[in-house]
Amino acid sequence: MPDPKGGKGDGKQNKGKNRASKTKAEAGGGDADDFDAWIRSRQLLKPDDQLDLTEAELAEEVTKVLTPTNTNVIHNLVVYSFKDGEYVPAPLPGNTVTLLGYPGNSLHVDSEEARRQIEESDEIGYPLPMPHYSLVEQRDTSVGDGEGEGEGEADDDDDAKSAPDKEAEEEEGEEEEEEEEAKAGEEGVEEGEPRGDDGETAAAQPAAATASNKKRKLINQFNYCERAALTYTNPKRNVDTQTVPPPRSQFGGNVLQWVIYDSYLEDFEGQSKESAAKKEDRKRGMRSKKFKDKSAIAEQLNKKYLKCWQILERMINQNIYDDIAHDYRYWEDPADEFREGEGNLLPLWKFQYEKTKKMNVTDILFNPSYYDLFAVCFGSHEFMKQTNEGYLCLFTVKNPSFPDYIIQTDCGVMCCDIHPTYPFLVVIGLYDGNVAVYNLRENCKEPLYISKGVNCKHGECVWQIKWGPDMTDGEINFYSVSSDGRVFNWILMQNKLWVTTIITLFLQDGLVDGPDGTKVSLKSGGSCMIFHPNDQKIFLVGTECGYIYKCSTAFSSKYLMTYNAHNMSVYRIDFNRFNSNIFVSCSGDWRVKVWEDMRADPLFIFDLGSAVGDVKWAPYSSTVFAAVTTEGKVHVFDLNVNKYKAICIQAVVPKRKNKLTRLSFNEKIPFIVVGDEKGVTTSLKLSPNLRVMVKPPKKQLYLDQTTLQIAKLEKLLSLVRELPEGNIVPDTATTVRS
Amino acid sequence: MADEGEGGKEGEKKILHVYPLVKHSDMNEEMRTEAFELSVTACEKYSSNYEQAAKIIKETMDKKFGIFWHVVVGEGFGFEVSYETENILYLFFAGNLAIVLWKCS
Repeated sequence: MPDPKGGKGDGKQNKGKNRASKTKAEAGGGDADDFDAWIRSRQLLKPDDQLDLTEAELAEEVTKVLTPTNTNVIHNLVVYSFKDGEYVPAPLPGNTVTLLGYPGNSLHVDSEEARRQIEESDEIGYPLPMPHYSLVEQRDTSVGDGEGEGEGEADDDDDAKSAPDKEAEEEEGEEEEEEEEAKAGEEGVEEGEPRGDDGETAAAQPAAATASNKKRKLINQFNYCERAALTYTNPKRNVDTQTVPPPRSQFGGNVLQWVIYDSYLEDFEGQSKESAAKKEDRKRGMRSKKFKDKSAIAEQLNKKYLKCWQILERMINQNIYDDIAHDYRYWEDPADEFREGEGNLLPLWKFQYEKTKKMNVTDILFNPSYYDLFAVCFGSHEFMKQTNEGYLCLFTVKNPSFPDYIIQTDCGVMCCDIHPTYPFLVVIGLYDGNVAVYNLRENCKEPLYISKGVNCKHGECVWQIKWGPDMTDGEINFYSVSSDGRVFNWILMQNKLWVTTIITLFLQDGLVDGPDGTKVSLKSGGSCMIFHPNDQKIFLVGTECGYIYKCSTAFSSKYLMTYNAHNMSVYRIDFNRFNSNIFVSCSGDWRVKVWEDMRADPLFIFDLGSAVGDVKWAPYSSTVFAAVTTEGKVHVFDLNVNKYKAICIQAVVPKRKNKLTRLSFNEKIPFIVVGDEKGVTTSLKLSPNLRVMVKPPKKQLYLDQTTLQIAKLEKLLSLVRELPEGNIVPDTATTVRS
Repeated sequence: MADEGEGGKEGEKKILHVYPLVKHSDMNEEMRTEAFELSVTACEKYSSNYEQAAKIIKETMDKKFGIFWHVVVGEGFGFEVSYETENILYLFFAGNLAIVLWKCS
């Protein structure tokens, strides 16, 4: 205590000096002195009320004795006691003053509390290194308490007056606790130090212990462990590229009125020159245009001329074949009157086309609208001798020398059909399985539609093709049958053909063993088809196996009827014009058979002595049909006249050299056209005996021919049906041989 | 000035051409046609207000071919510009008007 006082005294004196020096320095006005003065003045700042002591006084030793009695404690403090009704002296507060109370959480291992906890958790916990830090801190505070006791006492006293007893007790308690803690801390320190030395084992032990039993941990808020890791921070890097700036150019000029004017003049001159040149060009252009016009006019003229020439050609032909033309219309064989039940055929024109001389006639069809126009397909029936071109020619009887329309294809045309409502639409089936639709009005060179791609065509030769009734939404469509055993329906869409499979002709017992134990269902190749004249959903398909299947376009799962018709490929089927339940079929097994719908056995069988290429019912009679054979003969039957043999058998082409393939009846005039293997189509007039009309009975003169025809057929059928089946169709058949 | 030019050829012919004349351009065909038509339309519409015409041309060109177009419309001026190659059009119009438009960022 005396030192600071001495120091202070010194300072005072120094300050005095300093002031003096300061004034001096001010008088001198030196910079260095000024600075010096400033430093000194700062160091020697003193309170104003400090005593000025002399050297002697300062040197004097003052002895102070510290006594254990607290002079600040009020001794005569009284408290009013409500119990006694008087003031009673309050007990003296202790010498201890608590400035900060901080109850610790650590326990000594040997303490009662610790023992209890250990009993509870059934183990001995190791004091962790953490707690002793807190103990050290607490110690510091307790030391601090001791120091600050004197000052704090006075403030505390006022508070302490109210409940001095309690406080005293508390303080005592605290002191005890502190003592205990201090002990624990010392021990903790003692124990903690060696642990730090061999930290590894110590750390491992509690770790193992915690792993074995979670309960062992003492309750301690500091008992936690924090871990952190710092990863490497990648250094940042800048990568720059510089692109080439867009190219720039310089341009300058002066805009002045005369510059503008001059350039206009220049340009105008150039333009006038150009226009002059253009005029010349134009003149030339005019000339060429004239040429073009000329050619167009020439084309038109040509068309006109062509028409004229066609008419002229027809006239010449009519003159040349005048007698034939007369025969065609008017000749009736007078010999027929004397031949009962026999007729003959009068050959009329032969139709052929230069380019199709070597080809087979594969199909003949009359145009439904123009009775004298008929379509002839040229291809080849020989597998080995396929031509690489095919033709569809439309001939008219008015001009037997040259076809009216010629359609050329790059493989054999096997069949065709002309649309009944749009007689200019012709669909053809080709040998390679494709189908094509032509519009005769537009051009005959390019097809309107053609099947494209592998999946949109038949796999094999298309044998017959038929226009179907228009779809409900007016789309035109047709059906085709092919050797690949499928019947397709083709719809003429806006820009393409849409194909759907109607039926696949599986053989009914055609499940055979394939490789690897699989079953392969055999298909039979279709060879012809025809639609039921009244029910457009029903159609008959003849197959190469000799079956005739009755199918429906509505479903493809099963056949409505299977006729075991022939032993060889069925070539053609035709429905009777008057009774749609009756149809006739022909085959390579020489037979022609007449069938009734849903009757498994044929009504009539005729053996024609060679393969029958085609058979057709006559349009004018319900009992007349004609067939052509490979022998080159035409057989005409009238069942009403003779149920057992043909009423006319006539060789049309030489037997050895040529074969007849197809035939067609004209709808209006009694003649037929037959096609042969040499590309020749012959027209034959039917003699009167071959087209006998039914004479109405005298009592029923009002009946028309159709009714009579139906009646005639019915009568005939009833005759046949009445007979026991075994007798009527002996398979030895009624052989018709000339 | 126009009078002067005309005066020189007064005796021969006194035709004042008014059609738009492309004096210089290295634009591609499409852009040139567009710019040409645009300039003509703008100058016809604002025949008395060159500033407005230039503004319209500039803004439309900015919209159509990307920004930083510059347009000068006037009867007499001199210019020396650097431009992004293939982006200049210098044309005369209505006999007394020059239009320069170029792009430079």
